[in-house]
Amino acid sequence: MSGRAVALVGGATTRFGVRPTTWAEMAQEAGAALFRAIPELRADECDSLFVGAAEPERFAFQSHVAPLAAEQMGLRPRRILQRTELACASGQSAIRSAYAAIAAGLSDIAVAVGVEKMNLPSMAEANSAMGCVMDRPWDGPHGATAPPFFAMVAQRHMLEYGTTEEQLAAVSEKNHRFANTNPTAQFYAKSFTRDKLLRLPLVAPPLRLGDCSSMTDGAAAVLLVGEEFASRFTDTPVWVRGTGQYSDFHNLANAGSLTDWVGLKHAAREALGRAGITVRDLDLAEIHDCFTISEIVEYEALGLCGPGEGGPFAADGRGDVGGDLVVNPRGGLLGCGHPLGATGIGQAVEVYQQFAHQVPPSRQAPDPEWALVHNLSGSANVHSVMVYGRGRAA
Amino acid sequence: MSPEAPPRRARAADPRLDTVPPPPADAATKSAGDRSSVRPPYLLDFFPLESERETRLHRFYERLAEGRLSTTRCPKEGTLHWPPRTACPSCHTEELEWVDLPERGTIYAFSAVLAGAPLGMEADLPFAVGLVDLDGAPLRLFGRIEGASYTDLRIGETVRVESYEVGDGRVFYRFRAGPGPGGPPVA
Repeated sequence: MSGRAVALVGGATTRFGVRPTTWAEMAQEAGAALFRAIPELRADECDSLFVGAAEPERFAFQSHVAPLAAEQMGLRPRRILQRTELACASGQSAIRSAYAAIAAGLSDIAVAVGVEKMNLPSMAEANSAMGCVMDRPWDGPHGATAPPFFAMVAQRHMLEYGTTEEQLAAVSEKNHRFANTNPTAQFYAKSFTRDKLLRLPLVAPPLRLGDCSSMTDGAAAVLLVGEEFASRFTDTPVWVRGTGQYSDFHNLANAGSLTDWVGLKHAAREALGRAGITVRDLDLAEIHDCFTISEIVEYEALGLCGPGEGGPFAADGRGDVGGDLVVNPRGGLLGCGHPLGATGIGQAVEVYQQFAHQVPPSRQAPDPEWALVHNLSGSANVHSVMVYGRGRAA
Repeated sequence: MSPEAPPRRARAADPRLDTVPPPPADAATKSAGDRSSVRPPYLLDFFPLESERETRLHRFYERLAEGRLSTTRCPKEGTLHWPPRTACPSCHTEELEWVDLPERGTIYAFSAVLAGAPLGMEADLPFAVGLVDLDGAPLRLFGRIEGASYTDLRIGETVRVESYEVGDGRVFYRFRAGPGPGGPPVA
């Protein structure tokens, strides 16, 4: 890639879960955690702040959250202050925007924070917030939310390729097992065997409770800097080496194939191409397992296996420690929960900690050189991909 | 389409929430497009505003009230749009024409919402939804499927399009499975 190299030099995640705390309080918590994680960082040198937040208007009755987050975190941005909204990919959008600003020379030291408060006294209101991610006046009146859409993806995948409930459960078991090593995860210290997962109630057939990520409160923050600043903050910088996005529809009627996520192929090709690598070079991947079937379809779209081979890929442990690469070692959205704006930031924190060998051995990718982060948003109608490397671009 | 479609079930009372009043008693007597007929709060209502004062696509709802599901077509290219549009996404002409859509289709995929319904739809649980390939038109529409339990639906089954009254003067569309003009299931 051309332009100034940009490094991810640290980050931190709050506890994810059903939290007795507000949106603003979680922004404070993420700020405190970031400054604890990077003791060398001074607030007055953070020139820019990017705030990933999907629906604070709905979940917290609050807009104009960028200056709110800045105040909560003790920051006074003097170059760029903005919120990024891309539903489930809002957090990655904050990182991408920070990266672009630094690469362009408009920022030197930027914080990307993601915050989402999703658990409300009225879960029907929270479900309505999830519903208006869809094409509200057309798909919304039918009761469209994420679970029935991804359930239809699973139904078609089962029909076209023979994918099984057991293969879905294999994804959930892996990610919940990883989450058991992550004290910030919503399902930390909770055990889910495949048998137990297969006995959980149906939410949207064929998807059961354990196939679905949760409504989660949480926040996370990372620090991105221009190349000349990286060594001030860490000995193990992780370099942004590629990004790509693709969107080709919004209304559910225009989804095309439910099982061939063409947008992810395009986004991954762009991001991997910019990094100059192929999917075979990846040591770990944080991919968007909002539902178990998502991770299976993503294995295929990323080219980790052939079309229809995602189920066996999961069941055979090829995305597990000891497999082809480690997928979702943080615990994924299934194990960590999915606070929309914070998810992409939390994934980047995991990438940093993996490269710095700061995670427990049971989820550590061996000596990683390359990592990929993926978020889909909405009904998989946008795919966002970033590639990180241990080495700076030549 | 079914002219005797039953009105949508009433909004369920949520004991945790006292800000959503029930629909006004005279809502059903008001005409479609009467802004005052919209149940507050508007920003928690999934159903669109349908009148000429509120949307350039009001003809969609006027035709739907007559039992006709329709959409826009680009007269230059002949392509059908979904949802209906005010400008062609390809050539960007704003001179589009309205065309009726087929009244039958086959289920491409379906599921059901068993939990986690949005506000106002809690009393509908469980409900089936699906993607339906319209017969003879290159459109695959998403919608609620009434008339059969989700456990009895099958991919490839024929369903009919029907319009229905939302209950406050507005109309919307959905699919109906089961015996009737749609004929027997094909799979």
